[in-house]
Amino acid sequence: MHEYSVTKSLVDLCIREADRNGFKKIYRINLAIGKFTGFSADSINFYFDYLKEGTSCQDAEISFKEVPIAIRCRSCNRESTIEEPMLICPLCNAVDIELLTGREFLVESIEGE
Amino acid sequence: MKKVNILKPVLVSNKERASQNKKFFNDLGAFVINIIASPGAGKTSVIERIIQYFEAEKILVIEGDIRGQTDSERLRKTHADVVQINTLTECHLDAFMIAQVLPEITQPYDIILVENVGNLVCPAEFEIGEDFKLAILSTPEGDDKPIKYPLLFHLAAVVVVNKSDLLPHVDFNVTHAKDNIEKENKRARVFTVSAKTGEGFDPLCTFLAKKVDGKKKNKN
Repeated sequence: MHEYSVTKSLVDLCIREADRNGFKKIYRINLAIGKFTGFSADSINFYFDYLKEGTSCQDAEISFKEVPIAIRCRSCNRESTIEEPMLICPLCNAVDIELLTGREFLVESIEGE
Repeated sequence: MKKVNILKPVLVSNKERASQNKKFFNDLGAFVINIIASPGAGKTSVIERIIQYFEAEKILVIEGDIRGQTDSERLRKTHADVVQINTLTECHLDAFMIAQVLPEITQPYDIILVENVGNLVCPAEFEIGEDFKLAILSTPEGDDKPIKYPLLFHLAAVVVVNKSDLLPHVDFNVTHAKDNIEKENKRARVFTVSAKTGEGFDPLCTFLAKKVDGKKKNKN
Protein backbone atom coordinates (compact mmCIF):
# COMPACT_ATOMS: atom_id res chain seq x y z
CA MET A 1 0.00 0.00 0.00
CA HIS A 2 2.85 2.39 0.80
CA GLU A 3 4.23 1.88 -2.68
CA TYR A 4 1.95 4.67 -3.95
CA SER A 5 3.73 7.37 -1.94
CA VAL A 6 7.07 5.70 -2.48
CA THR A 7 6.56 5.58 -6.26
CA LYS A 8 5.44 9.23 -6.16
CA SER A 9 8.76 10.04 -4.45
CA LEU A 10 10.57 8.04 -7.14
CA VAL A 11 8.85 9.89 -9.99
CA ASP A 12 9.43 13.29 -8.31
CA LEU A 13 13.12 12.49 -7.78
CA CYS A 14 13.56 11.38 -11.41
CA ILE A 15 11.80 14.48 -12.76
CA ARG A 16 14.09 16.71 -10.67
CA GLU A 17 17.18 14.80 -11.78
CA ALA A 18 16.06 14.90 -15.44
CA ASP A 19 15.77 18.71 -15.18
CA ARG A 20 19.15 19.04 -13.48
CA ASN A 21 20.81 16.96 -16.17
CA GLY A 22 19.05 18.59 -19.11
CA PHE A 23 17.00 15.49 -20.05
CA LYS A 24 13.67 16.05 -21.75
CA LYS A 25 12.82 12.38 -21.57
CA ILE A 26 13.88 9.50 -19.38
CA TYR A 27 13.85 6.04 -20.94
CA ARG A 28 15.26 3.96 -18.11
CA ILE A 29 15.47 4.28 -14.34
CA ASN A 30 18.01 1.98 -12.75
CA LEU A 31 16.68 1.30 -9.28
CA ALA A 32 18.43 -0.72 -6.57
CA ILE A 33 16.23 -2.39 -3.95
CA GLY A 34 17.72 -4.19 -0.98
CA LYS A 35 16.20 -7.50 0.03
CA PHE A 36 15.74 -6.14 3.56
CA THR A 37 13.21 -3.48 2.56
CA GLY A 38 9.46 -3.78 2.28
CA PHE A 39 9.24 -2.56 -1.31
CA SER A 40 7.78 -4.69 -4.05
CA ALA A 41 8.80 -4.26 -7.69
CA ASP A 42 5.34 -5.32 -8.91
CA SER A 43 3.56 -2.68 -6.82
CA ILE A 44 6.05 0.00 -7.81
CA ASN A 45 5.50 -0.84 -11.51
CA PHE A 46 1.74 -0.75 -11.00
CA TYR A 47 1.78 2.76 -9.55
CA PHE A 48 4.57 3.91 -11.87
CA ASP A 49 2.43 3.29 -14.96
CA TYR A 50 -0.18 5.60 -13.49
CA LEU A 51 2.10 8.27 -12.00
CA LYS A 52 4.46 8.68 -14.97
CA GLU A 53 1.72 9.90 -17.34
CA GLY A 54 2.39 13.41 -18.62
CA THR A 55 5.85 13.64 -17.04
CA SER A 56 9.38 13.28 -18.40
CA CYS A 57 9.20 9.66 -17.16
CA GLN A 58 6.26 8.87 -19.46
CA ASP A 59 8.30 6.61 -21.76
CA ALA A 60 10.51 5.21 -19.03
CA GLU A 61 10.73 1.75 -17.65
CA ILE A 62 12.27 0.76 -14.37
CA SER A 63 15.12 -1.70 -14.27
CA PHE A 64 15.23 -3.29 -10.82
CA LYS A 65 18.46 -4.49 -9.27
CA GLU A 66 18.13 -6.60 -6.16
CA VAL A 67 20.76 -5.93 -3.51
CA PRO A 68 21.49 -8.99 -1.35
CA ILE A 69 21.51 -8.98 2.43
CA ALA A 70 25.16 -8.95 3.45
CA ILE A 71 26.06 -9.18 7.11
CA ARG A 72 29.08 -9.13 9.38
CA CYS A 73 28.96 -11.27 12.50
CA ARG A 74 30.22 -9.42 15.55
CA SER A 75 30.93 -12.76 17.19
CA CYS A 76 33.17 -14.48 14.63
CA ASN A 77 33.89 -11.30 12.65
CA ARG A 78 33.18 -12.99 9.29
CA GLU A 79 31.03 -11.65 6.47
CA SER A 80 28.25 -13.59 4.71
CA THR A 81 25.30 -13.16 2.40
CA ILE A 82 21.97 -14.46 3.64
CA GLU A 83 18.77 -15.19 1.71
CA GLU A 84 16.15 -14.42 4.36
CA PRO A 85 16.05 -11.27 6.52
CA MET A 86 16.76 -13.23 9.66
CA LEU A 87 19.96 -11.93 11.14
CA ILE A 88 21.75 -15.10 12.19
CA CYS A 89 25.35 -15.80 11.25
CA PRO A 90 25.28 -18.85 8.91
CA LEU A 91 28.86 -19.66 9.94
CA CYS A 92 28.62 -19.63 13.74
CA ASN A 93 24.88 -19.16 14.50
CA ALA A 94 25.46 -16.01 16.57
CA VAL A 95 22.78 -13.30 16.41
CA ASP A 96 24.86 -10.18 17.06
CA ILE A 97 24.91 -9.04 13.47
CA GLU A 98 25.86 -5.88 11.65
CA LEU A 99 23.88 -5.31 8.46
CA LEU A 100 26.21 -4.31 5.61
CA THR A 101 23.81 -4.17 2.65
CA GLY A 102 20.14 -4.93 2.00
CA ARG A 103 18.47 -1.69 3.12
CA GLU A 104 19.18 0.16 -0.17
CA PHE A 105 16.40 1.82 -2.06
CA LEU A 106 18.03 4.21 -4.45
CA VAL A 107 18.07 5.51 -7.97
CA GLU A 108 21.49 4.47 -9.21
CA SER A 109 21.21 6.14 -12.60
CA ILE A 110 18.81 7.41 -15.23
CA GLU A 111 19.07 7.08 -19.00
CA GLY A 112 17.50 9.55 -21.34
CA GLU A 113 18.06 12.48 -23.67
CA MET B 1 20.84 8.52 -25.21
CA LYS B 2 22.89 9.47 -22.16
CA LYS B 3 23.23 7.79 -18.81
CA VAL B 4 23.92 9.74 -15.62
CA ASN B 5 24.65 8.39 -12.18
CA ILE B 6 22.27 9.66 -9.53
CA LEU B 7 22.92 7.43 -6.48
CA LYS B 8 20.20 9.05 -4.38
CA PRO B 9 17.80 7.28 -2.02
CA VAL B 10 14.23 7.42 -3.33
CA LEU B 11 13.09 8.63 0.08
CA VAL B 12 15.75 11.35 0.19
CA SER B 13 13.14 14.13 0.64
CA ASN B 14 11.52 12.29 3.53
CA LYS B 15 14.92 11.73 5.12
CA GLU B 16 15.84 15.41 4.81
CA ARG B 17 12.48 16.50 6.23
CA ALA B 18 12.89 14.00 9.10
CA SER B 19 16.27 15.60 9.95
CA GLN B 20 14.61 19.04 10.05
CA ASN B 21 11.84 17.66 12.30
CA LYS B 22 14.49 16.13 14.54
CA LYS B 23 16.23 19.48 14.88
CA PHE B 24 12.90 21.08 15.83
CA PHE B 25 12.32 18.41 18.51
CA ASN B 26 15.92 18.68 19.77
CA ASP B 27 15.53 22.44 20.16
CA LEU B 28 12.42 21.76 22.28
CA GLY B 29 14.42 19.23 24.35
CA ALA B 30 11.68 16.69 23.75
CA PHE B 31 12.36 12.97 23.58
CA VAL B 32 10.39 11.60 20.64
CA ILE B 33 9.18 8.00 20.42
CA ASN B 34 7.67 6.60 17.22
CA ILE B 35 5.24 3.92 18.38
CA ILE B 36 4.47 1.25 15.78
CA ALA B 37 2.22 -1.80 16.08
CA SER B 38 -0.59 -3.61 14.33
CA PRO B 39 -4.21 -2.43 14.78
CA GLY B 40 -5.51 -3.58 18.15
CA ALA B 41 -2.11 -4.29 19.71
CA GLY B 42 -2.86 -1.74 22.41
CA LYS B 43 -0.89 1.32 21.28
CA THR B 44 -3.27 3.82 22.84
CA SER B 45 -3.55 1.81 26.08
CA VAL B 46 0.25 1.59 26.38
CA ILE B 47 0.46 5.34 25.73
CA GLU B 48 -2.12 5.97 28.49
CA ARG B 49 0.03 3.98 30.94
CA ILE B 50 3.19 5.83 29.95
CA ILE B 51 1.41 9.18 30.39
CA GLN B 52 0.18 8.03 33.80
CA TYR B 53 3.74 7.18 34.88
CA PHE B 54 5.18 10.51 33.72
CA GLU B 55 2.70 12.59 35.69
CA ALA B 56 5.14 15.47 36.23
CA GLU B 57 6.35 15.66 32.61
CA LYS B 58 4.87 17.72 29.84
CA ILE B 59 3.74 15.30 27.17
CA LEU B 60 2.42 15.68 23.66
CA VAL B 61 0.86 12.85 21.70
CA ILE B 62 0.84 13.08 17.91
CA GLU B 63 -1.96 10.71 17.01
CA GLY B 64 -1.90 9.12 13.55
CA ASP B 65 -4.98 7.41 12.18
CA ILE B 66 -6.37 6.90 8.73
CA ARG B 67 -9.68 8.34 9.94
CA GLY B 68 -11.41 9.28 13.16
CA GLN B 69 -10.60 10.99 16.44
CA THR B 70 -11.46 8.24 18.93
CA ASP B 71 -7.89 7.78 20.25
CA SER B 72 -7.41 11.56 20.55
CA GLU B 73 -10.62 11.83 22.54
CA ARG B 74 -9.40 9.10 24.91
CA LEU B 75 -6.00 10.71 25.36
CA ARG B 76 -7.39 14.20 25.95
CA LYS B 77 -8.72 12.85 29.26
CA THR B 78 -5.09 12.57 30.44
CA HIS B 79 -2.73 15.47 31.25
CA ALA B 80 -1.12 15.16 27.80
CA ASP B 81 -1.81 17.46 24.88
CA VAL B 82 -2.91 15.77 21.67
CA VAL B 83 -2.54 16.65 18.00
CA GLN B 84 -4.44 14.50 15.51
CA ILE B 85 -3.24 13.61 12.02
CA ASN B 86 -5.69 11.83 9.73
CA THR B 87 -3.79 10.30 6.84
CA LEU B 88 -7.03 9.47 4.92
CA THR B 89 -5.41 7.05 2.49
CA GLU B 90 -1.86 6.55 3.68
CA CYS B 91 -0.97 3.55 5.81
CA HIS B 92 1.82 5.30 7.71
CA LEU B 93 2.99 8.68 8.99
CA ASP B 94 5.84 10.30 7.08
CA ALA B 95 8.13 13.22 7.89
CA PHE B 96 6.03 15.68 5.86
CA MET B 97 2.82 14.87 7.76
CA ILE B 98 4.69 15.48 11.03
CA ALA B 99 6.12 18.74 9.62
CA GLN B 100 2.60 19.98 8.93
CA VAL B 101 1.66 19.85 12.61
CA LEU B 102 4.90 21.39 13.95
CA PRO B 103 3.41 24.93 13.87
CA GLU B 104 0.81 23.69 16.38
CA ILE B 105 3.60 22.86 18.85
CA THR B 106 4.06 26.22 20.52
CA GLN B 107 5.41 25.18 23.94
CA PRO B 108 8.19 22.91 25.16
CA TYR B 109 7.52 19.26 25.93
CA ASP B 110 9.61 16.64 27.73
CA ILE B 111 8.19 13.72 25.81
CA ILE B 112 6.48 13.45 22.43
CA LEU B 113 4.76 10.13 21.77
CA VAL B 114 3.86 9.56 18.13
CA GLU B 115 1.18 6.92 17.68
CA ASN B 116 1.71 5.73 14.14
CA VAL B 117 -1.02 4.23 11.95
CA GLY B 118 -1.73 0.61 12.96
CA ASN B 119 0.48 -1.40 10.61
CA LEU B 120 3.64 -3.51 11.01
CA VAL B 121 4.97 -2.91 7.50
CA CYS B 122 4.85 0.59 6.06
CA PRO B 123 5.54 2.82 9.11
CA ALA B 124 8.93 1.12 9.51
CA GLU B 125 10.17 2.57 6.21
CA PHE B 126 9.52 6.23 7.00
CA GLU B 127 11.65 8.18 9.45
CA ILE B 128 9.77 11.06 11.02
CA GLY B 129 12.46 12.68 13.19
CA GLU B 130 12.12 10.33 16.16
CA ASP B 131 14.77 9.44 18.76
CA PHE B 132 13.77 5.82 18.47
CA LYS B 133 11.09 3.42 17.32
CA LEU B 134 9.12 1.44 19.89
CA ALA B 135 7.33 -1.61 18.52
CA ILE B 136 4.45 -3.21 20.36
CA LEU B 137 3.68 -6.90 19.90
CA SER B 138 0.55 -8.14 21.66
CA THR B 139 0.27 -11.74 22.79
CA PRO B 140 -2.85 -12.69 20.73
CA GLU B 141 -0.89 -11.82 17.56
CA GLY B 142 1.54 -14.71 18.09
CA ASP B 143 5.22 -14.92 18.99
CA ASP B 144 6.32 -15.38 15.35
CA LYS B 145 5.58 -11.81 14.25
CA PRO B 146 9.21 -10.56 14.48
CA ILE B 147 10.14 -13.15 11.83
CA LYS B 148 7.20 -12.22 9.60
CA TYR B 149 7.73 -8.45 9.87
CA PRO B 150 11.52 -8.32 10.19
CA LEU B 151 12.19 -4.71 9.28
CA LEU B 152 10.21 -3.12 12.11
CA PHE B 153 11.76 -5.40 14.71
CA HIS B 154 15.20 -4.82 13.19
CA LEU B 155 14.81 -1.05 13.55
CA ALA B 156 13.00 -0.85 16.91
CA ALA B 157 15.17 0.10 19.89
CA VAL B 158 12.44 -1.09 22.25
CA VAL B 159 9.90 -3.89 21.84
CA VAL B 160 6.96 -3.97 24.23
CA VAL B 161 5.18 -7.33 24.53
CA ASN B 162 1.67 -6.24 25.57
CA LYS B 163 -1.37 -8.09 26.93
CA SER B 164 0.64 -10.34 29.27
CA ASP B 165 -2.63 -10.77 31.20
CA LEU B 166 -3.86 -12.92 28.27
CA LEU B 167 -0.87 -15.30 28.34
CA PRO B 168 -2.84 -18.11 30.05
CA HIS B 169 -5.42 -17.97 27.25
CA VAL B 170 -3.36 -17.55 24.07
CA ASP B 171 -0.72 -19.54 22.24
CA PHE B 172 2.19 -17.17 22.88
CA ASN B 173 5.53 -18.13 24.35
CA VAL B 174 7.45 -15.10 25.70
CA THR B 175 10.80 -16.90 25.40
CA HIS B 176 10.10 -17.74 21.73
CA ALA B 177 9.09 -14.13 21.11
CA LYS B 178 12.34 -12.87 22.66
CA ASP B 179 14.37 -15.38 20.61
CA ASN B 180 12.61 -14.22 17.44
CA ILE B 181 13.21 -10.55 18.27
CA GLU B 182 16.87 -11.37 18.92
CA LYS B 183 17.15 -12.91 15.43
CA GLU B 184 16.24 -9.52 13.96
CA ASN B 185 17.80 -7.24 16.53
CA LYS B 186 20.16 -8.42 19.24
CA ARG B 187 20.26 -4.95 20.78
CA ALA B 188 16.51 -4.35 21.18
CA ARG B 189 15.30 -3.90 24.77
CA VAL B 190 12.25 -6.10 25.38
CA PHE B 191 9.67 -5.36 28.09
CA THR B 192 6.63 -7.52 28.85
CA VAL B 193 3.64 -5.53 30.08
CA SER B 194 -0.11 -5.54 30.47
CA ALA B 195 -1.69 -2.18 29.70
CA LYS B 196 -4.88 -3.66 31.16
CA THR B 197 -3.45 -4.33 34.65
CA GLY B 198 -0.42 -2.01 34.60
CA GLU B 199 1.95 -4.91 35.21
CA GLY B 200 5.48 -4.42 33.85
CA PHE B 201 5.32 -0.68 33.24
CA ASP B 202 7.80 0.27 36.00
CA PRO B 203 10.85 -1.27 34.25
CA LEU B 204 9.73 0.10 30.87
CA CYS B 205 9.08 3.62 32.15
CA THR B 206 12.29 3.65 34.25
CA PHE B 207 14.18 2.86 31.06
CA LEU B 208 12.30 5.59 29.14
CA ALA B 209 12.86 8.09 31.99
CA LYS B 210 16.65 7.71 31.60
CA LYS B 211 16.34 8.51 27.90
CA VAL B 212 14.09 11.51 28.58
CA ASP B 213 16.51 12.85 31.23
CA GLY B 214 19.45 12.33 28.91
CA LYS B 215 17.78 14.42 26.25
CA LYS B 216 16.97 17.19 28.72
CA LYS B 217 20.59 17.29 29.90
CA ASN B 218 21.78 17.50 26.31
CA LYS B 219 19.61 20.53 25.78
CA ASN B 220 20.72 22.26 29.01
